[in-house]
Amino acid sequence: MTEAQISVQSLSKTYRVPVRAGGLKAALKSLARRTYNDVHAVQEINFTIQQGEMVGLIGPNGAGKTTTLKMLCGLLHPSAGQAHVAGFVPWERRPAYLRQISMVLGNKSQMLWDIPPLDSFRVIGEIYSVPPARLRQTLDELFDLLEMAELLTKPVRDLSLGERMKCELVAGLLHQPAIMFLDEPTLGLDVSMQLRLRRFLAEYNRRSGVTVLLTSHYMADVLALCPRVILIHHGKLLYDGELGSLAQKMAPFKLVRVTLEDGRPLTEDRGGIPAGAEVIEANGNHLTLRVARTAAPEITAKLLQSLPVVDLTVEDPPIEAVIDQVYQEGVQG
Amino acid sequence: MRYLKLISLFARASVQEETAYRANFAIGLLYSLLNLGTGVLGIFVLFGQVESVQGWSFASTLALLGVYLSVGAVRSLFIGPSLEALAGMDGDVWSGRLDFVLLRPVDTQFLASFRKWRIFSLFDLALGLGTLGVAVSRLGQTLSAARIAGFVIALAAAVAILYAILLAFTALVFWSPGVLFTWVFDGVFQMARYPLGLYPGWLRLLLTWVIPVGIITTVPAGMLSGASSPGALAGMVGLAVVLVGAASLLFRFGTRRYASASS
Repeated sequence: MTEAQISVQSLSKTYRVPVRAGGLKAALKSLARRTYNDVHAVQEINFTIQQGEMVGLIGPNGAGKTTTLKMLCGLLHPSAGQAHVAGFVPWERRPAYLRQISMVLGNKSQMLWDIPPLDSFRVIGEIYSVPPARLRQTLDELFDLLEMAELLTKPVRDLSLGERMKCELVAGLLHQPAIMFLDEPTLGLDVSMQLRLRRFLAEYNRRSGVTVLLTSHYMADVLALCPRVILIHHGKLLYDGELGSLAQKMAPFKLVRVTLEDGRPLTEDRGGIPAGAEVIEANGNHLTLRVARTAAPEITAKLLQSLPVVDLTVEDPPIEAVIDQVYQEGVQG
Repeated sequence: MRYLKLISLFARASVQEETAYRANFAIGLLYSLLNLGTGVLGIFVLFGQVESVQGWSFASTLALLGVYLSVGAVRSLFIGPSLEALAGMDGDVWSGRLDFVLLRPVDTQFLASFRKWRIFSLFDLALGLGTLGVAVSRLGQTLSAARIAGFVIALAAAVAILYAILLAFTALVFWSPGVLFTWVFDGVFQMARYPLGLYPGWLRLLLTWVIPVGIITTVPAGMLSGASSPGALAGMVGLAVVLVGAASLLFRFGTRRYASASS
């Protein structure tokens, strides 16, 4: 196995934030003496990412995703731990490192607002010392992939949110980075624009072999782009692996879908449902039961005995439901 | 060389941005002329009463005004616009847009200091240099090459000192991101329109040693009129080096505090 392109060991970040109670008195008091709280945004996380991988960094608001991303691109110094990206320590921010990475943020723009995007791209190209001929070629490819030729002559402030996001992606890719950090790239975009940007990112990754670490609250982004996810919650790494196996590992329950014989729906008292199975949906003679993962075989056997079952399937809950459960309750089991 | 090319690109992009707002040109022109007008008027009023003040004649005071206008023009040409973009409620530090400055493979302080230009200030610079020209002809002295060289060095040191003070004030945004600290400086800088000798002793000390704006105009103007000694010039250059170094350290220290804005 080749050396990992991103490797993170025991990375932690603690913020010191001022705290005060509500009200005028507390506000005045805090002017004289401040009290601080330590917020452990990221706690001892470890992972490695190989070149060309597309990895989704997921977790609820405040989980530590953006803090992790900012440490890896070099914006923040960690409180403890180490990270190496493309052989560099990110927060040393060496020019040779910064040339290899790119950060695209869904909520911040790096474009100059009053001039057409093409002029911003020229300035950014020069900052990254991209030779003019290569810049032209790279831009042409990106414009083509993103279908944005008609946007190039309008000032950025006159563009729509989706069009601006296309510009942000071009600005982030024109120096052909080896690693891309994407923070909520589809934030606020309509469904069709989200779809197009996802398609672009997948295609760009396939063509260029760029490594992508992406955070997003839209599970559709992650499902479409990232075979692998890293789940953080309260600053701790809860899961690192295939998206498909997430439910298996994280959800302590399975869904049992049962179809009963025609004309013999479930009785009012729900007789025949074994203990440990919870009916979450009953629709005529179709039932969906939630059962503990470990109890699933036993309960299925009991169901077959006690009810007139014609069909029965056991499946993992949908990914959104699993993630929602993890976000709300933390990891179990 | 690369940095010069970057500066020219930043300047060109800024011209494009400025031309998007035509009214700004007219207002800027009016402001420049008012600035010059009030300056000259003040000197006429002063020297309508007396021949010289504390050893400063009309011509040498006019030279001082010329230095004040020229240095102020350089400030509003790029130092001001670039640094002010960092501060305030819509500033890059507050909004987190500084991310993009920090992540460029170019020196952060260079980028923060040179990226925005107000090309219109070249007109101010022309007015300032014109005032200097008039002052020199009024001085009635032939200027030796050494004196001109001394003046040019003093003017460069003046710009460096001004830059250092503004950079240091701007670096304070890392401790209090919502505040535009340079306005404190603007108030004090107004006092550099007139010779240091005009002010009472305590204020003179303040304007020399605490916020050295007095030196910014007095020493270069003195180089032209012959009132400043080579020692004063050496002292000024030394001060410029120390201040730029200290302000750069403070700025670098500040950027380490920057925690970006949350998404």
